Amino acid sequence: MFYKHFIFTFIISGSFQKTIMNRRTFLKIAGVGSASFAAGCNSHPERNLFSLVKAPEDRVTGTVSWYASTCRECPAGCGVLAANREGRVIKLEGNPLHPVNKGKLCARGQAALQGLYNPDRLVRPLLKTDDRWEEISYPKAFDLLEKNIEKTAQKGPDRIGMLTETVGDVLLALFKAFFSHYRSTNLYVFEPFVFESLKYVHARVLANPMLPGYRLDRADLIVGFGADFLETWLSPVEYARKFKNMHSFDSGQNGTFVHVAPFRSLTGANADQWIACRPHTEGYFALALINEVFKRGRGRKLTTPFRASLNRMLRNYNTEMAANICGVSQWQINNLVFSLMEAKRPLVLSSPTASAGTSSIGTDLAAVLLNILLDPKLPLYDFDQRHRVEIADSRSGIQKFWEKAGKGQMDTILLHQVNPAYSMPSGDEIVEILGRQELFSVAFTHFMDQTAAACDLVFPIKHFLESWDSYESKQGITTTLQPVAGKFNDAPQVGDVFLELFPRDKKPGADYKAYLVDTLTERHAIDTSIGWVKLIQSGGWFAPDKPAATPELTLGRQTTLLLRKLIPKKPSAAIESDKPVLYTTSSLRFYDGRGANRPWLCEIPETLTQIAWQSVALVSESLMSANHCKDGDSVQLRTGRGQIELPAYTYPGLYGNAVVTSLGLGHEHYGRYARKQGVNPVAVLDTGVDSDSGAPFYAAGLISLKYSGKNVPLALTSGSRSQLNRKIALNIPIKHLGKVMPTGIGLTMDTFPMTLPLPEGYNPQRDIYPAHDHDTCRWSMVVDLDRCTGCSACVAACYAENNIGVVGQQRIIEGREMAWIRIERYEDPEDPASLIFLPMMCQHCDNAPCKAVCPVYAPHHSKQGLNNQIYNRCIGTRFCAQNCPYKVRRFNWFDWQWPEPLNQQLNPNVTVRSKGVMEKCSFCIQRIKQAHDTAKNENRAILDGEVIPACVQTCPADALYFGNLMDKASTVRKMIRTARAYQVMGYLNTKPAVIYLKKVVRTI
Amino acid sequence: MIEVLILSFSLTGLVIGVILVAARGKAMLFFTDFGETMKSLWSNRQPLGWIFCCVLLTAGFLFFFYLWPNIGIGAAQPIAFSHRLHAGHKAIACDYCHPYAGRSIHPGMPPVEKCLHCHNYIIANHPEIRKEHDYFNSQTPTPWVKVYYMAEHVVFNHQRHIKKEIACETCHGQVKQMDRLKGQRFKMGFCVQCHRQNEANADCWLACHS
Repeated sequence: MFYKHFIFTFIISGSFQKTIMNRRTFLKIAGVGSASFAAGCNSHPERNLFSLVKAPEDRVTGTVSWYASTCRECPAGCGVLAANREGRVIKLEGNPLHPVNKGKLCARGQAALQGLYNPDRLVRPLLKTDDRWEEISYPKAFDLLEKNIEKTAQKGPDRIGMLTETVGDVLLALFKAFFSHYRSTNLYVFEPFVFESLKYVHARVLANPMLPGYRLDRADLIVGFGADFLETWLSPVEYARKFKNMHSFDSGQNGTFVHVAPFRSLTGANADQWIACRPHTEGYFALALINEVFKRGRGRKLTTPFRASLNRMLRNYNTEMAANICGVSQWQINNLVFSLMEAKRPLVLSSPTASAGTSSIGTDLAAVLLNILLDPKLPLYDFDQRHRVEIADSRSGIQKFWEKAGKGQMDTILLHQVNPAYSMPSGDEIVEILGRQELFSVAFTHFMDQTAAACDLVFPIKHFLESWDSYESKQGITTTLQPVAGKFNDAPQVGDVFLELFPRDKKPGADYKAYLVDTLTERHAIDTSIGWVKLIQSGGWFAPDKPAATPELTLGRQTTLLLRKLIPKKPSAAIESDKPVLYTTSSLRFYDGRGANRPWLCEIPETLTQIAWQSVALVSESLMSANHCKDGDSVQLRTGRGQIELPAYTYPGLYGNAVVTSLGLGHEHYGRYARKQGVNPVAVLDTGVDSDSGAPFYAAGLISLKYSGKNVPLALTSGSRSQLNRKIALNIPIKHLGKVMPTGIGLTMDTFPMTLPLPEGYNPQRDIYPAHDHDTCRWSMVVDLDRCTGCSACVAACYAENNIGVVGQQRIIEGREMAWIRIERYEDPEDPASLIFLPMMCQHCDNAPCKAVCPVYAPHHSKQGLNNQIYNRCIGTRFCAQNCPYKVRRFNWFDWQWPEPLNQQLNPNVTVRSKGVMEKCSFCIQRIKQAHDTAKNENRAILDGEVIPACVQTCPADALYFGNLMDKASTVRKMIRTARAYQVMGYLNTKPAVIYLKKVVRTI
Repeated sequence: MIEVLILSFSLTGLVIGVILVAARGKAMLFFTDFGETMKSLWSNRQPLGWIFCCVLLTAGFLFFFYLWPNIGIGAAQPIAFSHRLHAGHKAIACDYCHPYAGRSIHPGMPPVEKCLHCHNYIIANHPEIRKEHDYFNSQTPTPWVKVYYMAEHVVFNHQRHIKKEIACETCHGQVKQMDRLKGQRFKMGFCVQCHRQNEANADCWLACHS
């Protein structure tokens, strides 16, 4: 047979291997080949058009309807607008009316949709029977719940317990009514990050354990003792905006920010100066500042007894001693004191979100006292706008709850949207308690997380985007929540479940919506249904009822005694030993871990490390070399409670003995994206709490740090830590800004002039091709590096808007990431701890290198200057990606999957790219198109600022601007008339349409 | 035109076959030459038989594909709705049932309740209208069969075309004369031709693609 003579030669791993193909193999290959050819050529178009049964009034097929609601991904409670297309929510954007976030959202807010449409979301109640889950119906689950509650209530008071996440007043009142009806006091609000130390200090100094807002925008100098207010601290979107209003060059304020902490977090990386102090010694540093400021006569208006006792106490401390303890130089302290004395409106911020325990109270107390000394009226504290998270109970309260449960004092435990088994160090004990036979535990949740897995009944409830509710983001602000998506499962709202549990005659409302409407309309004196509609249309009630009085200061001898106790003259042995300290930080992407099952958040790399999906331990260079480790080497971190092993990554922004790892990963359950991904460092933290404030310890002393001998390939998206002198992300000292900069004229890296992607940027001596003839618009983006905080909100928004595939950890390790916009970070070669962030997306060059090499003309220069990728032409040679100097083109190595119902989120205006084609940023062409159509319908030109791409829309720091370069009056055109404007690698004569403004370097 | 060609082609084949079989290849008296031809054909009857079968099969296939009754009148719909009757004879405006055409990229399909606005009163007990009632009562969306296809990566904006006063018939054909819609798979050439004639936007992404 002739097949037998066929010899196929394959080249496998560089060597030739001969395979004789037999008839059978030939037939197999031929069969599979032709079948897949036939199947692959079939485009499966939709065969049916389904008509609605009844048309909703506010829906027009093919257009987006916006619904205002509130984001509940963290207790900050930003206002959102949800874009509803044919019943599906395709995008979340900030509500511009909402005073907290003013139209902006963070990455977690953008990814809330992946919680709603998560493929691992539970849709049926699950009952545990003999360690197996049995799906039951909602009525059956409810009956079970009702019977257990009744049975428990008959046994006596306080037998029912509940932990809930931070909820709005109306729901909390309902929970409270429920608990008083069933005679129990065990209702606790559980949050992993409660700012106990700050509340404790405020209770002592301001007579109220509150969490006031801060007017960062009015400050001219901010000193932060680790407060990560650009990431997770209290209200990150709000504070990012306010910080940039105070700090950025173009706002005219030009304030400065000094970060004093052992770890230079993302917030610290945005500071003008980072003072690396020894772990747990921030308090000493703050006390040294108090000392110096007090000596220089601040705090005169305070009461005499307090001043006398402070004076007595400070005699025992001096700056030199503090400098030694903190491991900083004395001039750094003096320099900062000088700045503080000079500043008109200085503001001192306290310790980070994840409390370090006892040392955090010292820091917070010293920071608050420093604020009081600098201005006793505390003008930068906003007592009208107290953060909602202050209602949450301290960790000591939660521990008491579990102690009671452990002693068998409770028979029914209800857990509403909390995951203590994951986020508390005593998670194993909690799992054991929940698993007890005599205890009936119910988890009201969306996902099978570590806590739900230990419960007896898992009761799925509606997602916040499907619910009627209200939330008080700040005191005096009531924001409303309304269902923004079509119903796609039968889960009830948690409020309705609790209302049904009341006896029929004692029900506070017919259903939760009616109860909510009654409460809110009464509270805000709304008497018409139109008033109610207006309330939910605008997303809430934003005017504070009446201004709160500034609380009286309660300073005295007890304050100084406390200060002396918290910051003893002789630091503890642990501080002095200089042993490695493990800090676990709240995560910009996952918060406390609740974001870990949103694939976008996993896929977006952590800005500081550029590592996606994985947990890493950030280790300082000295500690790395002492252990003979390099990046990616797995290290074992041992504390008194146990050991974790995770890859190490060198991070220069650390005090020598500090080791940092982020919380949020390492789930044992929580769905396909989170399960067994990364490491949960909570397991090695101390189970105890601080005896004064009740704060948990998110830092722990390390007994040992050892290289395990293994190496883990890192899902690292950055090619290099430094710019290798390529002039990518540039900065400029503030003193150079006033001067007239010599404009370049030559052809070298340093002398190449800025060449706009317009006909005026063409020079026959430099260019082969003539200028493009653009039609009315030449789209362009301006990126202000002085404003970019590196928060990655733009990246998440881009994933949501443009249907970008999630490739997973392995593909990223292979270098096949898909993001259209990324935040690059570069270390300053002279000071590696100082970082610069650069959002990088397609530069839409006028002289695009990608276009020249495509054999099929797939990259196409549009009439409005866009570099359009035409997917149908693309044959996947990848020459363009190779030739692009900005490395922004992404190749689809596979057809990426959106497992049901994640595909419901896909934007119907954007093609889902298939395997084998190249894709990249389109400047949100669908939005340009929409603006174009609207303008044409209204017979006018497109207005400046009418086109807002998704990244620009969401940027909390307003670092991105978009507009038309051909319009001489446009914002972008005005913005680039500055010495700060430059083009990334413009010397290649690519004529990019993305123009960057240099970061301003301020010296303190 | 193609129908006539196919029909004549298959009929000719059929006649030749019948003559061959009837004469068994014997020379015919009145046309000697023809008789000789027939004879040689008869001696090659086996391969010719195969060829004939193939031709017959092809012709049959083409017949069923193109000429079978009702083939040209479009896909059967779950409810026998006639555009000729509603849009043509009763002269109901297109945008009564497809109200979003002037407001959105998508013209919109009439919800089931809209049909019943009239058909609660007009021939309410007609068997086809009963089906409509069943859809309404059981809250089931009607699975209309799609007849006009556009490639997935094209977003056709109805609003812009309506604003430019392009008649629905320009693309959708003589809907008013069709009971069932024949439909069409639109190809790029169809769009580009018109865009060029009217000097409309011809930018790839700004105009159609996304």
